[in-house]
Amino acid sequence: MLNSFIFVVLPYAALALVIFVTPYRYFSDRLTWSAYSTQFLERKTLLWGINPWHYGILPVLAAHFLGVIAPGPMKALLGNQNRLLVFESIGLALGLFALFGCLLLLLRRVNTPILKRVTFASDWALLYLLAAQTLSGVYVATYMRWGSQWYLHTAVPYLWSLLTFNPQLEYVTDFPLVFKLHAAGAFLIVALLPFTKLVHLLYVPFDFLKDPPILYRWRSKGSE
Amino acid sequence: MNVRAQLVMVFNLDKCIGCHTCSISCKNIWTDRKGAEYMWWNNVETKPGVGYPQKWENQDIFKGGWQREGGKLKLRALGKGPTLLNMFFQPNMPKLDDYYEPFDFDYSNLYKAPPGSDQPVAEAFSQISGERIEKITGGPNWDDDLSGSQIYAANDSNLEDRTLVEDYGRMFMQYLPRICNHCLNPACVASCPSRAIYKRGEDGVVLVDQEVCKGWRFCTSACPYKKVYFNWQSGKAEKCIFCFPRTETGQCNACAHSCVGRIRHVGVLLYDADRVEEALLKPDDQLVAAHRDVILDPHDPKVREAARTNGVSDQWLEAAEKSPVYALVKEFAVALPLHPEFRTMPMAYYIPSLSPVISSGGDLHELADHGTFPILEKMRAPISFLASLLSGGNQEVIADILRKQIALRLFKRAGNLGQPVEESILKNAGLDEEGANRLYRLFTIAPYRERNVIPTQQREEQDSCQRKGASGFGILKKTRGPK
Repeated sequence: MLNSFIFVVLPYAALALVIFVTPYRYFSDRLTWSAYSTQFLERKTLLWGINPWHYGILPVLAAHFLGVIAPGPMKALLGNQNRLLVFESIGLALGLFALFGCLLLLLRRVNTPILKRVTFASDWALLYLLAAQTLSGVYVATYMRWGSQWYLHTAVPYLWSLLTFNPQLEYVTDFPLVFKLHAAGAFLIVALLPFTKLVHLLYVPFDFLKDPPILYRWRSKGSE
Repeated sequence: MNVRAQLVMVFNLDKCIGCHTCSISCKNIWTDRKGAEYMWWNNVETKPGVGYPQKWENQDIFKGGWQREGGKLKLRALGKGPTLLNMFFQPNMPKLDDYYEPFDFDYSNLYKAPPGSDQPVAEAFSQISGERIEKITGGPNWDDDLSGSQIYAANDSNLEDRTLVEDYGRMFMQYLPRICNHCLNPACVASCPSRAIYKRGEDGVVLVDQEVCKGWRFCTSACPYKKVYFNWQSGKAEKCIFCFPRTETGQCNACAHSCVGRIRHVGVLLYDADRVEEALLKPDDQLVAAHRDVILDPHDPKVREAARTNGVSDQWLEAAEKSPVYALVKEFAVALPLHPEFRTMPMAYYIPSLSPVISSGGDLHELADHGTFPILEKMRAPISFLASLLSGGNQEVIADILRKQIALRLFKRAGNLGQPVEESILKNAGLDEEGANRLYRLFTIAPYRERNVIPTQQREEQDSCQRKGASGFGILKKTRGPK
């Protein structure tokens, strides 16, 4: 029951929400599409929270995605025991770095009175969820060693089975609870994405890199 | 020649009395909203002073504007790569304390307070946190009229001799009203990773597209004038919109309209967009000349032809011909850009103010030959101060303008008194009688439609599909948070 909820109901619900709610918000309420930075109001703690968080979590997240997108090359890369050890260590360090940042951000929201007016239920939900997710990730990395390798042989085929609408739970059902919580957390975060400030993840400034510095918009010609 | 039109404002500092009426009318129209309480798209500073936000002129702190590097212009702050790496924490962003914590007063306490032996007072509270503020420590014009001059005015980066604000006999002050300069080479536009800020082709107004802005905050520090603000409520950047809903219909901007001293002029300038970068690569002291060089003569048939091919309408060309701004900036060359050395080519120009004549005896002032005004070197407001503010340090440019203003006054004074006018006075200042009379009219009795020549936007020339959805600020759509 728990297994089918975590591994079938949650992921499909999350996927549906992302696919339908994201464009709806983009077209109907783009004024709320922002990273909602609070640096203007508080910056001293933010510096030590936000940078460790992003620089820790982004490579780890990218590694999770790479495993799904290119399991073959990843298997080859991690086949060597020395390399595996190095990557696992880097991953764990980044995870701890992110956890440190996330906890600091959480404490900052608690301890800074001026942030009260810009902190909403969604901010608390995200901060607690991301902290729990990072914590469970660090736990898995520490006590269930060589995760970067077994991930490719269990979670990745399971995720692919989801995408082909033929969910094969046998890949993941025998894992301990903490792994299942990690998976549930991931799906929850994806589900929350279109409703919260996490939408800022969906924006990568490619235009900025190639555009000339000064942007013009002409009513007759459009932008130039 | 790539001719474009730009709406430009000129401020006659000689007439500004620092009443802040412009700031209030701007605030009432545009920034009287949650998240924008601390924003003053138009503000008036006392000079010398640290301004709003404090020390905005010091680019060592905020890294605003452009600098020359290997024959090219580069943002002083961050290149494109470093921008992406600093998206999570923007290192140069001004913080709330650099402006001030916006406050209001709890007037309800005046009638809700329980009976007691003391008169109830309206206590101050923060408009951000809602908490009570024991002691207000800042405001948008906290150093108004040189208050706290040894803390504030003494730190003005334009002031060479800091003891000037301590010596009562030599002290001086003047006002500096500021809006967004709607620059020709705006650093805010270049710094935006979302490409949310753009310059409108038709009138040069620089705007933030609220639907595209993601709140990365680079514009707030890239603007060397600190005229892009971060709305802490909506999480996006906002700035002066040059009252485009008003100017599009030929009305004057709220700030200029409400100016009681009538110090502001609004009009069209034509400029050569292809020569902007080359002009900005000149050394600091040649920048004013380079600015004037980029501005084109609207009477020149070649310029008019090139403007027409670029889609500048006849109505705009006519406005450019009548433009009071063209007369002041280029023809009489009495208006100067604010801090041209920031290299954004600001399109708000300032006529430097003449110093007051305090004493014609003693050793404070030494009068010039004509016996009415002090010699330029002994003026109360040092020329070096004005030069640092308005001409990239070029004192000759300032002296030229002050000479013109003095000559104009002597000329009109003689006229009023029925005395003969010495021709050499006007001639030495580079003026003639006809020009002096025109300048006098612009400075004093010119009515609304002469001080401001604003052509309307001809939206009827566009097709209806383009017109739809291409205007408005969108503030009626809901933003995040409690209403």
